[in-house]
Amino acid sequence: MELILAGIRKSYKKKKVLVNVGLSTKAGSCVGILGGNGSGKSTLLSILAGVQKADGGSFLYQGEELFKNSRKIPSLLGYVPQGNPLIEELNAWDNLRMWYDKTTLRRELSQGALAMLGIDGFLKTPVYKMSGGMKKRLTIACAVVAKPKILVLDEPSAALDLVCKENIYRYLEQYKAQGGIVLLATHDMQELELCDQCYILKAGVLEPYQYDGDLHHLAGKL
Amino acid sequence: MRKGIAYFHIQLKRVMKTFPRQAAVNLLVCLCVGVLAAVFLRDGILAGDSQKYRIGVVGDLSSSYLGFGITAIQSLDDSRFMIELVTMTEKEAEESFMRGELYAIVELPEGMMDAIESGRNDKPISYIASQGQKGIGTMVMGQIVDVASTLVTSSQSAIFGMQTLMLERGMQEEFWDATNRLNLLLIELVVNRSGLYEVEVLGIANGLSVEGYYFCSILLFLLLLSGIHNSQLFLHKRVDEPRFMKSRGVGAWSQVAGEYLAYLCLLLFCTALLFVPLSFCLEKELLTIPEWEGLGAEPLSGFLFALLPVMAMFAALQFLLYELVTGVVSGILLQFLCGLGMGYLSGFFYPAAFFPDSMERIGRLLPTGQALQYVDGSVAGEGNPRAACGVLLYLAVFLALSALVRRNKIGRG
Repeated sequence: MELILAGIRKSYKKKKVLVNVGLSTKAGSCVGILGGNGSGKSTLLSILAGVQKADGGSFLYQGEELFKNSRKIPSLLGYVPQGNPLIEELNAWDNLRMWYDKTTLRRELSQGALAMLGIDGFLKTPVYKMSGGMKKRLTIACAVVAKPKILVLDEPSAALDLVCKENIYRYLEQYKAQGGIVLLATHDMQELELCDQCYILKAGVLEPYQYDGDLHHLAGKL
Repeated sequence: MRKGIAYFHIQLKRVMKTFPRQAAVNLLVCLCVGVLAAVFLRDGILAGDSQKYRIGVVGDLSSSYLGFGITAIQSLDDSRFMIELVTMTEKEAEESFMRGELYAIVELPEGMMDAIESGRNDKPISYIASQGQKGIGTMVMGQIVDVASTLVTSSQSAIFGMQTLMLERGMQEEFWDATNRLNLLLIELVVNRSGLYEVEVLGIANGLSVEGYYFCSILLFLLLLSGIHNSQLFLHKRVDEPRFMKSRGVGAWSQVAGEYLAYLCLLLFCTALLFVPLSFCLEKELLTIPEWEGLGAEPLSGFLFALLPVMAMFAALQFLLYELVTGVVSGILLQFLCGLGMGYLSGFFYPAAFFPDSMERIGRLLPTGQALQYVDGSVAGEGNPRAACGVLLYLAVFLALSALVRRNKIGRG
């Protein structure tokens, strides 16, 4: 096993959001996390990304405890939040230049991950003029700069058109194929089809779930 | 560290995109404020110089001695800078007084000069002022009239006594010559009385001249409010950006440092740009600051350098205020009210010495108060290490609080 989460806990004052979260997965797989609104999916992902601190529990990757060694998280894990984290006044090139040196950026744009995400088509467009799909692809491009082994996405295709979704799914398929681990929080059935494992987050606990296309059954579980 | 520097670079690029607009707004605001300030200062000071107590003189003005006395006072005496005596009829005086054109009326009774010439002082001058003028001005004016009355009657008694003695001793030939000499001697004594004292005019606050003081306070007020049109740079309506940065290894402290330093650079460039027209005005003496008299625009570069800690502290204050709110309206309102309130208490509009002691103490302790004392010290050329420490302390506190607020925002669920 490559990645193990165990006993992760998180409370906001008296409200217990995560009680005992645990899962395990291996390289080249995609884990989908389902759950109702406010169930704690985003909190769990931001804890894994090192944005928030867990009250307890462990996050092991290849046997290394990342909660105790959080400095390693940015290089091992790419985080794509639900909203837009880009600098609005700047264009795509400027946003990417913060994370890539010029040579690497040009190479990635021509043949790497950025080429697959189709960033080249809107390099000079300011973020405030971009569509939702462009912003999401650019955010993923910024998140995967260090070629992370784990990619954490919070509802990556919410409110995107089919072409953008397809673009992102193709990238995620390739990312998996290259041995990366994808953790995604989702409400989207199409995204679930990408997943090798599914979990439902309910009352602060992750429960394994086998999605078989029955939406009524899934809705009853949430 | 590398990511922190990269973050600063990208923030610098971001804020510099707004530089042309910011610079234009700053120049426009400064032009308006500069013109207004120049007009107010010039009018205020010149009006202060030319503001005289206009006093109507009515009654028996037939004596040539009296006409000579009034002319002498108006052309020779020091009081001519303060008092304007206007001879008029009673009716004219009454109308002018009602219109507020006269400060007071001096009424010379019938036969007063004859009485004085015959050595008597039984026809007193009436000094008429309104009820609302029972101030120091009226008191001083009353004293002046008393002095004038005493001087005139005493002088005239002396002349009268001398003339009587001369007539008794048969010195008719020297009579008019001696009278004239004694008159001139008495006039000389009155006119030269200013040799008894020396007037020293102190600065209005912190030892600075009016121009120096308001130059500092207006400049600081502009710097303090410059954050208002920078709301789009500071406000983080979305928490996703700082959270994403944190996930990429740029923590709250690095974020605040990068954004703050970039903004400080913008503020510095905008302020330096303002110093170009300012330097022109000083060079051409369109603006005169007595503390820098004769030096042209030379002290400005040193002053800009001395202003750095204050700019840094104000930028940190603006940064903190915007960090505390999320809405544009509330952010701008908070900036404006804080700037206005703190500026007022610290004496940006009126010298703090005019306020009650407790208010003055609070005003001096505020960040704006420390900044004003520090800048006043720089303009006066004396420096103020204590205020400089206060400014730097506030700077550190504001930055630390900003970072804590940012950290709390990032970690909040």
